[in-house]
Amino acid sequence: MLSDKAPVTTQTEPSSDAPIDAREGPAVWASGLVRRFGKSTAVDGLDLRIERGEFYGLLGQNGAGKTTTIRMIVGLLRPSAGTAGIGEFDTWASPLEVKRRIGVLPEEFNLYERLTGAELLDFSAAMHGLGQSEARSRRDELLALLDLESEAGKLVGDYSRGMRKKVALAAAIIHKPEVLFLDEPFEGVDVVSARLIQQLLQRYTAQGSTVVFSAHEMHLVERLCTRIGIMVKGKLAMEETPAGLCARTGTDNVEDAFIAAVGGGAESEGMSWFDGSPG
Amino acid sequence: MVRRLAWLKWRLLRNGLRKDWQRRIGLPGSILLIGWGATTVAALYLDRVSGLEGAARLEFAHWSALALFMFWVTLPVVIFPLDENLDPDQFALAPVSPRQLVTGLAVSGLIAPSVVILLVTIGANVAAFNEVWPVAILAGLLMAALMIVAGQMLTTLISAILHTRKGRDLAMLIVVGIGLFGFLSQQVVRENLREVGLEESVLAHPLSDTAWLLPPVAVQRVVTDAARGAWAGSLMWAVVAAGWILVMAWLWHRLLAWLLTTPKESPSQSRKRGSAGLASGRTWGVRTVMARKELRFYLRDPRQRLVWTGAVIFLGLGAASVLVGTGGLSLFRDRDWLPLLAPVLVLFVGLPIALNMFGWERNAASFLFVLPARPRKLMVGKNLAVAAALAVETSAMAVILAILSNSWAVLRFLPALTVCSIACQLAVGNLTSVITPLRLPREGTDVFAQATEQGCLAIVSQLVSFFSIGLLLVLPASVMVLRVQFDVLPDWFAHTFPLVWGLVFYAVSLWLAGKLLSRRIPEVVNWVQVV
Repeated sequence: MLSDKAPVTTQTEPSSDAPIDAREGPAVWASGLVRRFGKSTAVDGLDLRIERGEFYGLLGQNGAGKTTTIRMIVGLLRPSAGTAGIGEFDTWASPLEVKRRIGVLPEEFNLYERLTGAELLDFSAAMHGLGQSEARSRRDELLALLDLESEAGKLVGDYSRGMRKKVALAAAIIHKPEVLFLDEPFEGVDVVSARLIQQLLQRYTAQGSTVVFSAHEMHLVERLCTRIGIMVKGKLAMEETPAGLCARTGTDNVEDAFIAAVGGGAESEGMSWFDGSPG
Repeated sequence: MVRRLAWLKWRLLRNGLRKDWQRRIGLPGSILLIGWGATTVAALYLDRVSGLEGAARLEFAHWSALALFMFWVTLPVVIFPLDENLDPDQFALAPVSPRQLVTGLAVSGLIAPSVVILLVTIGANVAAFNEVWPVAILAGLLMAALMIVAGQMLTTLISAILHTRKGRDLAMLIVVGIGLFGFLSQQVVRENLREVGLEESVLAHPLSDTAWLLPPVAVQRVVTDAARGAWAGSLMWAVVAAGWILVMAWLWHRLLAWLLTTPKESPSQSRKRGSAGLASGRTWGVRTVMARKELRFYLRDPRQRLVWTGAVIFLGLGAASVLVGTGGLSLFRDRDWLPLLAPVLVLFVGLPIALNMFGWERNAASFLFVLPARPRKLMVGKNLAVAAALAVETSAMAVILAILSNSWAVLRFLPALTVCSIACQLAVGNLTSVITPLRLPREGTDVFAQATEQGCLAIVSQLVSFFSIGLLLVLPASVMVLRVQFDVLPDWFAHTFPLVWGLVFYAVSLWLAGKLLSRRIPEVVNWVQVV
């Protein structure tokens, strides 16, 4: 099921006191994953192996294939070739088993805009098979933690961008999944809530759960991630710990290391018209 | 700026055709269909104009201009077009003045399939008044300008109304109101024509005197005055028509200026709906929670609410038939079996939702389908909601039809027939929803609006499904006819057969659709997501 050639360069062990899942194998894996859209290839033979308890940062420039990869792993997009899965389950052979184990923070416009925040969380909980009273108590705690209590009765469509992110995160974690996929989770979220979410996620991975995290805020990636995979043109170009990434690229922070890894950083040459007074 | 906006409209049209092969089939198909419709109407107009003489001929031309204008400006309300040029947000930061925008959009309005209607009808008017053809051409240009400016103004007005949640809710009433008004007008005109004939009708209701207030009639008077040799009058009406065009352009200009500078409803203004959530009811589980979510959307989403208020239109038709006493519908009033028509009438109401269950999810499909619910349970949840809404509407309509026809005895057959028709609709709907999910347009609910997004395949799929439902209902309906009209079957059979028939088809279809959906989730998500 798993590819032998998964390019794992560094493996981070979860903390020794964490209640690690007894099952063997990685939390998230992909093998020879390919996705073509017409003539262009968005993901090109990706092999991936993310261990349990990891806080994995999937980075890349716009159009590098991060979201496409995540959508294929969670079963929303059919791969052109290859396969992916969660734990011992293949996404395409056992989709329900995979979906029971994951939580996904979708793009902000993919929520039910005509449900209230409280209703959205109840809906997510019910679909994950949580009991009614358990769902209600988890919902209330999450709304309180994310400072959404007073907005619980408003339609999601009327939420601000940051509030949508928060309620989407709450919906993704209400069933305490084994693996959490977060696509730009901090975009538009206020600083206080962002810090709260970070603490929550760190607590979550400390117990052996896994986070796959896609973001452009490099200071957060550096602070949170135990390992980073950098995608370039649909391929995994580099995979390292934050420190290892800096060492390999000869830089002293993840942002510079990322720019070096993707081959960016060219001076903005030309554009002579841009100098001088506006107009 | 005019050139640039026209270019933009052309590129949007062309790129849409390049990107989507269904549009490559759908667009020429729509042009042919529109052209055929316009030519038929134009031929009818020419035939009637040539059959009338003197004042009647001129008054008929005035009425025709008014009817064409009303049709043109209200069409976008019923079938809201996907006109990307008209999205004011896209121009909010561009250095374009509203005046430039008005001119540019008016010209770009000519780059659309619907312009065929203008060309054909104006051509017909020139042919009808060929004795003053240069004036008819000039009036045709005025009419085209008037219709484009007025049409765009009304579309912008709809955008302005849809700008706020209250407006979006109000839009539903506007559409229903226009539908009812159109029907009542048609009935009144038809009765009048039947009673006194076309010539007497137009002479009894002349529009010449009120042409000042009716822009399309003012335009038509440019031609009709010229046709009777009143050249000064013709010139005066040309000035009046031009004045109306300027007034409408100014109103449109003001609306655009308002839209460009007014933010959409702020979150703080929205009403709170209580924080009880879905976990407060007695029932809990995938099916019931899904059904409750759907029912909330039926009430909260104006477009879904519009679908369900379709029943109001039928009720309006019934009321109109009684009030106006028209020949067509009033024939049904004395039929004993009239209440049994309710399940069939209501079928039309639920179709847009039942045949495209996942299309209504739009982008939230990617939220729904990462949840670990069995596809079959999701469908049952959605089916429960549709069935509940249809059952309520059928019962209400059956009671009203029973009052109208004073026929209560047949109501005992209603439950079996209702369950059967809902089950058959859902049986076909489940399979259609999985096999050909449709991406919903940003606005509009009807099959034509869906066609603008996905070409003629959408129409084909919906029509095939519709006729399949009809076919499935032939046998249960025959059983009812045999029992109610001919009294040849026992009551128990008339109760049992439709029930068993409908439920068997539903069960088989649910099993098949569930299997299919579990394999096709990525395809369904891909189809229904609105970019």
